[in-house]
Amino acid sequence: MHALSADEIGIVELSLRVALVSVAFSLPVAVGVAYLLARSRFPGKLLIDAVVHLPLVLPPVVVGFALLLLFGRNGPIGRVLDQWFGVVLAFRWTGAALASALMGFPLMVRAIRLSIEAVDRRLEVAARTLGASRAWVFASVTLPLALPGIITGTLLSFARGLGEFGATITFVSNIPGETQTLPLAIYTYTQVPGGDPQALRLSVIAVVLSLVSLAVSEWLTRRTARAQSDDRR
Amino acid sequence: MKCRTLLVARLVVVVTTLTFGCCTAFAADVTVFGAASLKEALDAQARQFEKDTGNRVVVSYGASSTLARQIEAGAPADVFISADLDWMDYLEERHLIRPQTRVDLLHNALVLIAPASSKAVLKIAPAFDLAGALAGGKLAMANPDSVPAGRYGQRALEHLGVWQRVRQDVARAENVRAALALVSRGEAPFGIVYATDAMADHGVRIVDTFPTSSHPPIVYPAALTAASRSAAAKPLLDYLRSAAARSVWEKYGFGVAP
Amino acid sequence: MIDVDIALSRGAFHLVATFAADARVVALFGRSGSGKTTIIDAIAGIAKPSRGSIRVGGDVMFDAAAGIDVPPERRRIGYVFQDALLFPHLDVHANLLYGQRLRSADERFIAEDRVVELLGLGALLHRRVRTLSGGEQQRVAIGRALLAQPRVLLMDEPLASLDVARRVEILDYVERLRDEVRIPIVYVTHSVAEIARLADTVVVVSGGRCVAVGPAHDVIGRLDIVSPVDRHEAGSLVDTRVVSHDAETQVTTLAFDGGVLHVPAIDARVGQSLRARIRSRDVSLALQRPAGISILNMLPARIVAVNAERDPVVEVQLAVGGARFTAAVTRRSLRDLDLHPGLEVLALVKAVSFDPYGVD
Repeated sequence: MHALSADEIGIVELSLRVALVSVAFSLPVAVGVAYLLARSRFPGKLLIDAVVHLPLVLPPVVVGFALLLLFGRNGPIGRVLDQWFGVVLAFRWTGAALASALMGFPLMVRAIRLSIEAVDRRLEVAARTLGASRAWVFASVTLPLALPGIITGTLLSFARGLGEFGATITFVSNIPGETQTLPLAIYTYTQVPGGDPQALRLSVIAVVLSLVSLAVSEWLTRRTARAQSDDRR
Repeated sequence: MKCRTLLVARLVVVVTTLTFGCCTAFAADVTVFGAASLKEALDAQARQFEKDTGNRVVVSYGASSTLARQIEAGAPADVFISADLDWMDYLEERHLIRPQTRVDLLHNALVLIAPASSKAVLKIAPAFDLAGALAGGKLAMANPDSVPAGRYGQRALEHLGVWQRVRQDVARAENVRAALALVSRGEAPFGIVYATDAMADHGVRIVDTFPTSSHPPIVYPAALTAASRSAAAKPLLDYLRSAAARSVWEKYGFGVAP
Repeated sequence: MIDVDIALSRGAFHLVATFAADARVVALFGRSGSGKTTIIDAIAGIAKPSRGSIRVGGDVMFDAAAGIDVPPERRRIGYVFQDALLFPHLDVHANLLYGQRLRSADERFIAEDRVVELLGLGALLHRRVRTLSGGEQQRVAIGRALLAQPRVLLMDEPLASLDVARRVEILDYVERLRDEVRIPIVYVTHSVAEIARLADTVVVVSGGRCVAVGPAHDVIGRLDIVSPVDRHEAGSLVDTRVVSHDAETQVTTLAFDGGVLHVPAIDARVGQSLRARIRSRDVSLALQRPAGISILNMLPARIVAVNAERDPVVEVQLAVGGARFTAAVTRRSLRDLDLHPGLEVLALVKAVSFDPYGVD
């Protein structure tokens, strides 16, 4: 196997950057939404739950199309972002990050919600009697105990984001060096005459990256769970 | 506990700066949206231009229809090279290109191809038996509804009175290169692509060429987009029309407009 | 000190609790499901009453009419849960300091070293929670609640999930707590032995209501109001002082206001005060001193009252000097011996019936 060419390194770096940024920004939102769904009761909760899961069941192209309509330069949100903040997402790698974030969001929320629900609520009650405010209880008891699920959710979403194609190509198109992530690059090479070897090389890289993220997720989850488990229950 | 919060805060700052600090403006000097069939030739031209001027060129290839719609949606292209006049007209009507920069750049021819290993022999003539030759297999074409290569192909087959008999056997590809790949891999016994595509792929052989009278002239117009702010865009366009560029175009099988 | 007047519903269960108590240890006594845990939940701010008020140490914690409901984290009321509820992701030391960290320096009047020493936690400080035994967990839980600098400590049946040996251990610690730390304790239990050992004031809770409030000495004798089963445990509490130990026969002598009690040797120093619990069913009555009998304690007593109910077992209240005893006898004996108020009798109490561990 030859070493990676400069182009290939660029593609991998772009893909990693897109996936990392998408995860970094969606994590706080996912934690908040997961906490809401796990602990609160409010009218419309089922609706929020359904909306969160939409990207999981919708065709990715539909998500990409919706993003284009909303966040495109002429879209309602895109226009505001551009004129007021100078931020443009369409056809930018930041838009690719948004697409990845959206597609991975349900996976993140699911995993985090499950682990928050698994936290014994009475531990939270005990913390309050010891003088902790609701916010401090969340930060010092709920979050640490939910950590295994948070890690799993993050890495799942990261791996999903790495492989995101349909929403990405529809929303930010296929611009080398800017939005051409690994899956898009592989797709492009399949259309280049004699491009199969490159497509294969990139595919191997994609597989390796996914395997590594899954392995790291497994290892981290086991480590945190072991450090914290209370198996006297 | 304090240490962990500080670490998280630092991480947030780093990530945010990376995200927004570096990317308010596009990094490339010129962005070209070019028809899929231009891939090898335009890549070569771009490399040469970069070497000569030091300006960076990024090219995004796709079906002209897709690219035009992306430009309409605000994609940051500086130069657009379409495989037919209709899609350039489409943008011109919407004032999305600078009309004074519009030029006809290249010509191309339309061919019927088969996988390199195929022994098929077919002569293109009015009412020729393409349907029989397909024998249940697929005719790979770029989407005839929107993509230039598909449109030309449909017009040619209509003109020859063959379209009605083969239309249900058409495998619609996203762009002409996808159609080329289908034939090259042996998935489809026949396909309709540009002559330049057939030249680029050793996995296919040309069965016959469509007479120029059977379809509208295949012309590749090029223009600067209205939204372009790149100082290197006009020089690039001029370069593509220069004598130095001409030999490269011809090497890849394109006809150069006078 | 603690003033509760509330009504609270949890599903089909309705609680109406009214009592006021000011003592070192206030025990909430009752069967499972009687509502005693609900009451301390309300005091802690974990359960919200539908009406009424709760005052602790003069401060209003809850007042439905005035719209006051202080959140638990601001009530400064410690809570020791039945199953400890230690934080599994922190070690023992971190658990202990959890509440203390949230208090400013001038609010800290209970020191860490003192609590560690009091509860014997020194060796456990760096252990992970899941490696601790039930008794160790309970001690850490008590320590943790204490270090949160509470004004009142609530304990919800802290011995219930422990085996007998652990219970003895923890009871000792709770007693030390009561004696050495100046924090009032509200202690929820269904065990008469625990009340006998620890409580100053007892609130009897039954069917969602407070049916009796009073000093432990009094309430111990009136447990029939709780349930027929508890009546079986009824008796009297006697304050005694250790007078001497006989090493050869292994008998300890306790003196009280009305005589002496001989019990099997217990580990206590001479002069130490002990509260002895004498179950009614362990007291027999005799009109004259029987001879050649193994019972060591034969105390002259005068019958003060007889509970003449329809049951086969009758409670006879006795005055033994300044102390009050109760004896449970059959209706037949009542008739045959003609037991009536004013009669001078002998109260016979087997030495062996004294439980040195207080855990029955």
